[in-house]
Amino acid sequence: MKPDSVVIRPMPSRFKHQVPKYKVTRSEACINCGMCAKSCPYGVHERIEGHNKMRPPIDYKCIGYECRKNDEFYCVYRCPRKALSLSLNPMYDALGDCRWTSDMIVATWIMAETGYPPERTDLGYNLGNSGGGFDKLRLKFPENPPKVNREDISTAIRLNRRADGRADVVISTPVYGGGMSFGSVSLATMLSKARNAKIWNTFTCTGEGGYPEMLYPYDDNVITQVATGLFGVREETIQRVKIVEFKYAQGAKPGLGGHLLGTKNTESVARMREAVKGTPLFSPFPFHSVYSIEDHKKHIDWIKEMNPRALVSVKVSTPNDVDMVAVGSYYAGAHIIHIDGGYGGTGAAPDIAKKNIAMPIEYAIPKVHTFLRDEGARDVVTLIASGGIRTAHDLVKAICLGADGAVIGTAELVALECVRCGNCESGRGCARGIASTDSELADLFNDEWATQRLTNLYHAWNYQLVDILQKFGMKSVTELVGRTDLLEHVDYS
Amino acid sequence: MPKKYHIEINPTPLDVKLVAKFKITRGENCINCGKCTKVCIYEAHKRSEADIRKLADPYMVACKNCFRCIQECPRGALVKSLEPEFQALGGSYWKPDMFLSIWKQAEDGKVPVSGAGYRGPFTGPGFDGMWTDMSEIVRPTRDGIHGREYISTAVELGRKLNHLEFDASGALVSKIFNVVDVPIPIVFDIPASDIITPNVMQAIVAAAIKIDSFVIFPAENITDDVRKHMLHIIPLMSAEAILSHAELIRHARVIALEYSDKLLKNFSTIRQSVRNLSPALVIVRIPAATGVEDRVAELVLAGVEIVHIAADYCGMEVQGDRYIKDVIRAVHLRLVDERVRDEISIIASGGIAMAEHVPKACICGADLTAVGLPLLIALGALVYQEPEKKIVMPEGIDKIPLAIARQRIVNLMGAWHSQILEMMGAMGIREARRLRGETGRAIFFDEIDKDIFGKLFQKQEAANV
Repeated sequence: MKPDSVVIRPMPSRFKHQVPKYKVTRSEACINCGMCAKSCPYGVHERIEGHNKMRPPIDYKCIGYECRKNDEFYCVYRCPRKALSLSLNPMYDALGDCRWTSDMIVATWIMAETGYPPERTDLGYNLGNSGGGFDKLRLKFPENPPKVNREDISTAIRLNRRADGRADVVISTPVYGGGMSFGSVSLATMLSKARNAKIWNTFTCTGEGGYPEMLYPYDDNVITQVATGLFGVREETIQRVKIVEFKYAQGAKPGLGGHLLGTKNTESVARMREAVKGTPLFSPFPFHSVYSIEDHKKHIDWIKEMNPRALVSVKVSTPNDVDMVAVGSYYAGAHIIHIDGGYGGTGAAPDIAKKNIAMPIEYAIPKVHTFLRDEGARDVVTLIASGGIRTAHDLVKAICLGADGAVIGTAELVALECVRCGNCESGRGCARGIASTDSELADLFNDEWATQRLTNLYHAWNYQLVDILQKFGMKSVTELVGRTDLLEHVDYS
Repeated sequence: MPKKYHIEINPTPLDVKLVAKFKITRGENCINCGKCTKVCIYEAHKRSEADIRKLADPYMVACKNCFRCIQECPRGALVKSLEPEFQALGGSYWKPDMFLSIWKQAEDGKVPVSGAGYRGPFTGPGFDGMWTDMSEIVRPTRDGIHGREYISTAVELGRKLNHLEFDASGALVSKIFNVVDVPIPIVFDIPASDIITPNVMQAIVAAAIKIDSFVIFPAENITDDVRKHMLHIIPLMSAEAILSHAELIRHARVIALEYSDKLLKNFSTIRQSVRNLSPALVIVRIPAATGVEDRVAELVLAGVEIVHIAADYCGMEVQGDRYIKDVIRAVHLRLVDERVRDEISIIASGGIAMAEHVPKACICGADLTAVGLPLLIALGALVYQEPEKKIVMPEGIDKIPLAIARQRIVNLMGAWHSQILEMMGAMGIREARRLRGETGRAIFFDEIDKDIFGKLFQKQEAANV
């Protein structure tokens, strides 16, 4: 169920053209009769008033082969000279990769534009093409589920299960935004994430770059991240918020720490991080003050002491012993265990680390879930998964494997029209203005546009989630946790 | 503290045409408005120098696939696709993207870094079927990448003693063998081939000297211009040819002999004939074929101190279907069973294409790896797997100045060294010597998938069988 603050409004792309899936070719046999322009309701064919010749077809507007069933306007059949043909556009192969397929990117754009899953049936967007993990898991729907009305289905989850008198934080959808630091993304990106978090009654995270003033109106929906460099961490930033997150490691670069180049440490970034402008800033690995679970507890106690209502989240990556780390964190007093898998996103990480270090989240979730359960601690901590949650289906599978909810990052940026070209950090930064502080590039969109795109994406996911819960005959997303019996794996069945 | 091992990198572009990944064609409906030149931040689009009213063909090496020109062209006149020449590179093992990565590392010597998450398949054959572990809190290197100066990548070649023996008076009676230190678990390995021009050969030797490692060359290919560098060259020969290469052996620290059944049978005599010429260590190079673990065990029991297991250029067993990863594990475990693993060194080669393959091979049980093709790719070589193996050196390769060719190989090794440090740092392993056979620091797809997904999703009936 969406909160009342969520209002869906169409928010189209900021670019003139989309990336086309199909290619419409007009051969020399065309006599410029204009029949195609008259019949195509999508505007693929154009002839400007007074011009003799047809303009080249506008490929991205074409709905492709499913148009064949439209007898009255399928241009390929209607053309009297049979001068038109339809094929897959080679341009589409240049977009996406096997984890984030071109269909998945385009579908995410549509969700961000309309607020709903695509009506087109030609996009395979629920599964990637990576050949493993989520992409090999399928949902098993029962034949005759109990009847449940959409309106009666709850997607809310509680984040504090300790009954320790601290804030009883409930989020309306089991997803929140990952940490992206001030400086790593544009101000409009950061602000829109916070505004959307407020609209959806969920959270966004500061990342390790300080707590800019523009986020103050959204304090109740912001997580302050405390990472190893302790940049921008002050008593005041810890006291502002309901959740404080300790970041031990990041899935994309586990065990490596971070490095902000001197050139990126501009005046405003330096002020926010309380550092000297122009010097390279290192976030070391690991926390230099944590060499044992007792040290870890000391840190959690320190936060709890400083902010008596805050919940503490502990973000770790996924080594072999992630289950042990999770249990240790629980005993140290964490409310939320956030595990970040190896295939997660990043603004910059060594390729060798992204591919090779630590396990994918799909294995880590059941590992941690069962270990916590065997320890009798599963019901008193919240388990959040991230690192490769691309779609609503991934989210559902993660929950079935044992998570309570998920954190997403890349999907949010794709909603803002990221193409995952991977050049977030090089030169002037993101060419599409999402992850850049370059004065010209960062102005490519405003936070109104971005907020609505994110709100729409969250809505489309929530809509799919409710759909799925209805098919399972469930009234709450919490019933789904750990239900591996609702999944099947194509290699094992 | 001993002197730190450091590979000096230096930006070194190569003046040959490299293949770009994408292709953009400008349609006839382009109105030369110049919008693309404004929106492209990588300067792939420029006006034509000959006629500034027109736009030049896009400079695709600069293109980073941001799609802005495609999406913002007022006429939709730009069409992008994957460059067919790029897609034709390599094959199922030598993936086209590897070439871009090696070229970049050879040029700047830096660890390849990018934004967004991993793009590749979930898992894959061979080395792609394993991840390395990391250590969340407690770790011996303590400072991660900033403690990298405490990480040693040095390994040893040669025979080591299982234990020391002393006589009644406490004097050492064990004979300590000669070992050779290699500061990075990589040696070069260049097979006989007519595409290796003299300047390329010299560059490879010079790079081996620069990084203080070795290069394995067939003895008959060793030309006079590189003979003076025998301290860094490992001549490879058959046992029968030892006497005819006596001069090379006298100047070498390490030599390599091709495996044959005869060599196995007469090893002690053959070893003695080398010893008569020089104290050089002897490697026996054996193809990674079916049953290689048995041969290696026999070799080691016959007194061989270093074994080089060579798979084909795609990391496959010769006439078999095991990957080098699995062959190394089999050999390693076999030697562990024989209780001799600690006494000898294993070099693994074949399909070592990326930095990650080095620590992964070590985890599987090798002491070090031997690398060939990536060095040639660093010099602009194109490799094709289909229809059959073909290596094309760039035109004018024989004119590339030695200093440039050498530095590109050094850069590649510098980048690999940094990446090995990254992985070791994350694993919390301080010495490359301790990586060997340390499978506890790895996560194997076959094992974890069965352990987690197999247990959860294996059909009940099947599980009961």
